[in-house]
Amino acid sequence: MTAQPLTASRDLSVAELEELSHELRTKLLELCGTYEGAVHIGGDLSAADILTVLFEYGMTVDPDDISNPQRDRFVLSKGHAAVCMYIAMAIRGFFSYEGIVSSYGQLDSAYGMHPCKVQLPGVEASTGSLGHGLPLAVGMALSARHRGQQHRVFCLLGDGETGEGSVWEAAMAARSNRLGNLVAFVDRNRQLMTSMAEERVVFEPYTDKWAAFGWNVVHVDGHDMAALVRVVDELPDPDSDRPTVVVAETVKGKGVDFMEGNLAWHAGSLGKADLERALTALNTAFEASRTQKENV
Amino acid sequence: MPVTFTFGEFLSARSVIGSTLAELGETHDNLWALTPDIGATLVEFREKFPDRFLDVGLAEQVCVGIAAGLAYDGNIPVVSGMLPFLSMRALEQIRTDVCYPNLPVKIIGTHGGLVGNGGSTHYAVEDLALMCALTNMTVTSIGDPLMVGEVLRQSMAMKGPIYIRLAVGKSDQVLYQPGQHDVRIGKGIVTREGTDATIFTHGTTVAQAVQAAEALEQDGRSVRVVDMFTLKPIDADLIAQCAEETGGRFVVLEDHLAYGGLATRVADVVADRGIRLTAFERLGIPQVYAGFGGDEELRDKHGYGLAATVAATRRVLAAQP
Repeated sequence: MTAQPLTASRDLSVAELEELSHELRTKLLELCGTYEGAVHIGGDLSAADILTVLFEYGMTVDPDDISNPQRDRFVLSKGHAAVCMYIAMAIRGFFSYEGIVSSYGQLDSAYGMHPCKVQLPGVEASTGSLGHGLPLAVGMALSARHRGQQHRVFCLLGDGETGEGSVWEAAMAARSNRLGNLVAFVDRNRQLMTSMAEERVVFEPYTDKWAAFGWNVVHVDGHDMAALVRVVDELPDPDSDRPTVVVAETVKGKGVDFMEGNLAWHAGSLGKADLERALTALNTAFEASRTQKENV
Repeated sequence: MPVTFTFGEFLSARSVIGSTLAELGETHDNLWALTPDIGATLVEFREKFPDRFLDVGLAEQVCVGIAAGLAYDGNIPVVSGMLPFLSMRALEQIRTDVCYPNLPVKIIGTHGGLVGNGGSTHYAVEDLALMCALTNMTVTSIGDPLMVGEVLRQSMAMKGPIYIRLAVGKSDQVLYQPGQHDVRIGKGIVTREGTDATIFTHGTTVAQAVQAAEALEQDGRSVRVVDMFTLKPIDADLIAQCAEETGGRFVVLEDHLAYGGLATRVADVVADRGIRLTAFERLGIPQVYAGFGGDEELRDKHGYGLAATVAATRRVLAAQP
């Protein structure tokens, strides 16, 4: 079987990507207001810009050709951000947003709290238990190398997740096998489920840790779309011999003032009034950032 | 190659794994061999297919995780290592990364049971209980080196994962002549015919069960030995047949915890099918951390050596329906 070549990533402007990111956050809040159970909204909102730049810009993927061997792979190691990935993929054309919002978390739905590849083709791996995604991504990158394929394997981790020892086993294995086709993003929102990152667990000096494992380290503002686009544009060649980690400084709950940096919003659901309040906050923040940019 | 062996002759299971994988690597260009620093078995494969061999060093979790990642991309990975560590340190990776998406990863290793004198850190005695609990996992325990090769060959067609348990030393005794039995995953092997009682066993203790049956033959008793090398899925029909044909007299012997392994699997079938037994005895490791000593010394100390097997079988034979 000869695979059809995939078209390269789409040439969207930073402003268009920001719009898509805003759409993703809006839909996340709507789902959080619709679904009765808790949604991991804090870590969804911190990851929204990263997932937008990957699915809309950085990765070569085709929603109509999900098995193409040349596609870039994406492993959501922080599996609790599944709903953010589902909606980002829906905006990209993989799934229907209505399908997600109407069935999320319900009996027999393919859209659960943590992604399941068996139930939801298009997702690359079943994840949710932290510290498992990067090893899977290493295996996928190794397979691509062996087959002489040029695609990349992307993996998104939470910074709290990198407390898991298996992450560092994978970091060592990726460097040992010279997997320049592997790109890990760390959503460095500096919060765990019940504590602030540096208070109970000292992660700093964080980028030094990855550098010490021999990775190519990029440090970026994870909510600066122009910067994220540059990071993606400047990724080392997949044939290079060092895996790349993009440590993206983010804010848990980003875009909704009463959620930002608030431990209470690791996960939750929004009542009608709170949903209105959240959407207003989100829109206000988005308009403010746009006005600020226009004035620069 | 036509070969003949006599019962109890030694042949290295590890060399059989090595040569079988090297052979399968020729016909399957997606076969990989991975190890957490226990690669001696894989030398032949490594030399033939260096780019499909991966030694990650001492890191069982990532070894299984990488295997799953390879399998997601259409490869067939074999992870070879020491079972106490693979089955416990990497248990969650086996369960969540391999079994949950039902990927064709093969976990094969040594040190199943009280073997090797490493102490309780180095004995896998809970592994079969753990592996049998995992949905999608096929669980085997093999005592005959040539059977290891045959099971590996058959497993190439499997869609999901398989666990292959070996011991060291004792497991390397040849039990069967090549072609003597129809070896099929999921089917027990009647190692020795008998009509008065059945000893169910697997792996290292098959030879011991045969010795016990031979000893009892001196008393004029006819004891069947079943090598139940597949624990999951269990050959329930064979268990029912043995109950019928050997007077409902069962002994289960294994180098594993007495509760949670084959004895539990057999008892489940007996309960589920409503099979009426005359007597049932289980011989295995009690709830202790076993300590140091030779393989046979430890079996004797913990009550499942040859003498204990003969004694238990005598009790079962004496039981009245």
